[in-house]
Amino acid sequence: MTLFRSMAIRMALVYILLICGFGYVARVLYSVQITRHGELFEKAQSTYTTRIETHGTRGEIYDFGGSLLVGNVPTMDIIGDPANIFILNKEDKDKTETECRMIADFFEKQCENVNADEVFRRLSRRTFTSTDANGKKVERDCHYAVIATGVKYEDAKKLKDKVKELSFHGVSFTSSYRRNYPKDTMLANILGLTNVSYDTFVPIQGIERSLNDAMTATSGSMVYERARNGRSVTYVNSSSEPTLDGYDIYLTIREPLQAIVEEELDRMCERVKPHAAWALLVDPKTGDVLAAAQRPTFNPNDRSTMTPESSANRLSELALEPGSIMKPFVVSYALDKGFVTPSSMIDCEQGVWKYAGRLLHDTHNVGKVPVTEVIKQSSNIGTAKISVMMGAKNLDNALRSFGFGQKTGIQLKPETSGIFRPLEKWDSLSVSRFCIGQGIAVSPLQLARAYCMIANGGYKVNLRIVDRIERGDDVRVMPVIRETKSIFANPTTKKMITDMMIGVTEAGGTCTEAAIEGFHVAGKTGTAQKVINGAYSNRYYASFVGFVPAEDPKFVLLVTCDDPTVGSRYGGSASGPTFKAIAERALKYMYVQPQLSKEEWLAERSAAQKALHERKVREDALVQARREERDRQLKAQQAKETQKKTGTTVASRPTSNTKSTTIRR
Amino acid sequence: MNQFTKKTNPSEAESGTGRTKTPWVAGLIIKMAAMMIVIFIAFCARVHLNDKTEQLAREKTRILEEIREKRTEIQTLIAQRESLRSWDNVNKKINQYNLALRAVNPSQVRYMKRFEGQVSAPMSSLYGSDTRVADTSAGTQTSAGGIH
Repeated sequence: MTLFRSMAIRMALVYILLICGFGYVARVLYSVQITRHGELFEKAQSTYTTRIETHGTRGEIYDFGGSLLVGNVPTMDIIGDPANIFILNKEDKDKTETECRMIADFFEKQCENVNADEVFRRLSRRTFTSTDANGKKVERDCHYAVIATGVKYEDAKKLKDKVKELSFHGVSFTSSYRRNYPKDTMLANILGLTNVSYDTFVPIQGIERSLNDAMTATSGSMVYERARNGRSVTYVNSSSEPTLDGYDIYLTIREPLQAIVEEELDRMCERVKPHAAWALLVDPKTGDVLAAAQRPTFNPNDRSTMTPESSANRLSELALEPGSIMKPFVVSYALDKGFVTPSSMIDCEQGVWKYAGRLLHDTHNVGKVPVTEVIKQSSNIGTAKISVMMGAKNLDNALRSFGFGQKTGIQLKPETSGIFRPLEKWDSLSVSRFCIGQGIAVSPLQLARAYCMIANGGYKVNLRIVDRIERGDDVRVMPVIRETKSIFANPTTKKMITDMMIGVTEAGGTCTEAAIEGFHVAGKTGTAQKVINGAYSNRYYASFVGFVPAEDPKFVLLVTCDDPTVGSRYGGSASGPTFKAIAERALKYMYVQPQLSKEEWLAERSAAQKALHERKVREDALVQARREERDRQLKAQQAKETQKKTGTTVASRPTSNTKSTTIRR
Repeated sequence: MNQFTKKTNPSEAESGTGRTKTPWVAGLIIKMAAMMIVIFIAFCARVHLNDKTEQLAREKTRILEEIREKRTEIQTLIAQRESLRSWDNVNKKINQYNLALRAVNPSQVRYMKRFEGQVSAPMSSLYGSDTRVADTSAGTQTSAGGIH
């Protein structure tokens, strides 16, 4: 073999080896890049890709002007890592226990509501049992033990520094937030509250519950590739789904008006000591609830003040027999349909009337009076007679047209629609009782809405407590829902019923305490017996509802005492003064100018007083004349009977000016 | 003719057939070195760019963290402010410092109407008479309670 030939053979071998080598590499490359590409790419991604969830914040609640009523306050949760504490001290078990005990004692001293024994128990639990994908029970390291939650942010920052100084292992601080109610008890029953369950807010009641969907934040996520040290590789593609905070809720409540109503309600509670009380201030044109206060109430920041009684939302959930404050609806309907006029005379039977086998009483004995006086003096008999005149069907139409038996449309849940039997289920007494607010149960919201309809001229309007919701530039305004057609066919009906209701606060009316200097106040008192255990009791709902100024109302105000225990139980005495106090302050706040000067107002009142006095004198004279006539007739009858028995004649009848005498022969 | 060089001159024919080893290797090496230098520069530039990007990303994270801290402080301050602004708290301070405040009264308010350059007499207050008359010739307003 020549040198050349042996070299050629060796070169050929090298070529073959190289080709085989490269072929092998090519095969592996093909396998990795083409055949197993999907599988290996996913594996790499799962190792070097991280997905983190980002959470938005729950929406806040503001009043109409932007004052914060419910907000989010940043806090920190303090979390322990039991497995980490163990690993760092694994050579010495006692050291682990000592460190856990030190951590527990430290946080018990520094934080409220932290029990050292409980924290120690959690930190000592190094592993926990869980079930894997195959159903097998597996022991895993425990890396999460709650030490304290909801710690104030500033306090948590100081604790963080102290923990660093003391070199505690396995303690971390995570950001969180909790609900805060900076106005304490203001509007608490309406705003509601939330609990926290596994980092999620669970609404319990009120606006927090009814608008929970809008206020709940949308979680987002961020996917990115990370380097070996955990940092994100920023020059590689990352994707994220945006996090959206919840909508902020703006109510129709005006904080200054709310403060006025709350303060006056507290004064009323001190004065008459009721079981409960509430007040509602509503704009009759738009149905906006300007203020809504209730007692008893609670402080959502302090759950120890929360009881079923104090946290109930009586305005939307309670259905009560309203009493005489139902009368204007019936009378206005009767006026509108022409059954009566303001001067139609109604015989109020001197306070006792039998209808359908049952007696109906008035608080004051009233005789034959015009319809105006029926409202002014709140005659049950007068109203019942008007109602009987209208008939059951018309009464049913009247009450339903004012919205009774229906919800008001307010954004509060739950809301009762009251108890108002359908016409087919009425009995013979219903027509005389529903009109005076007995046998029918309505909520305070329904009453306020119905009075809004009288005040605005008969237009049905839904109540609103939420004005708008906002999230950045996304603003959604809740519409004002108001019917375009009035329930009053007669355009003078509003004026007629308003004039009657003005009489309630004038001399001779049932609530002169509600009169406001410089204004005409249209109102109605109501004193309704409470039904307890299925029977009427000696306890009452004492209400006064009205609107001011009567001719162009700025608001409707309902004030109710549930069972006043001190002083008078009547609506005019218990609730009337509070109505006046709230209305006066509210009018000043709203810059409503008085309609009358002081002199004009006083002149009107004294004229009304004078007219009342003259009417009383006339009535007394009439009563006296009737009494004398009755006595005379009685004596004449007695004399006739005596004559029959004895056969003697009786002396001629005496004149009205002389004392009657009987001459016996 | 020399078949390789296609030269007919016999002296040139000999010189065209052999290859000169040194010139083409040097040329190759120079070309390769130049390419490698260019690749190296591009590589360094890319690494430098990545490094800068990383620095900016860290700065961004730091600033975002600062913003988050500030937002947290702002939220806490807002909660404190709203609590201080509540009527209960304000009322407490009014009583505590015995501030001489009283409720607003409509009689504090006066109104004036102006008709095309003339200043009319001020309307009498709704709770009292006001006999002062505007000086229309001088075009001045009276001090009839001013315009509130």
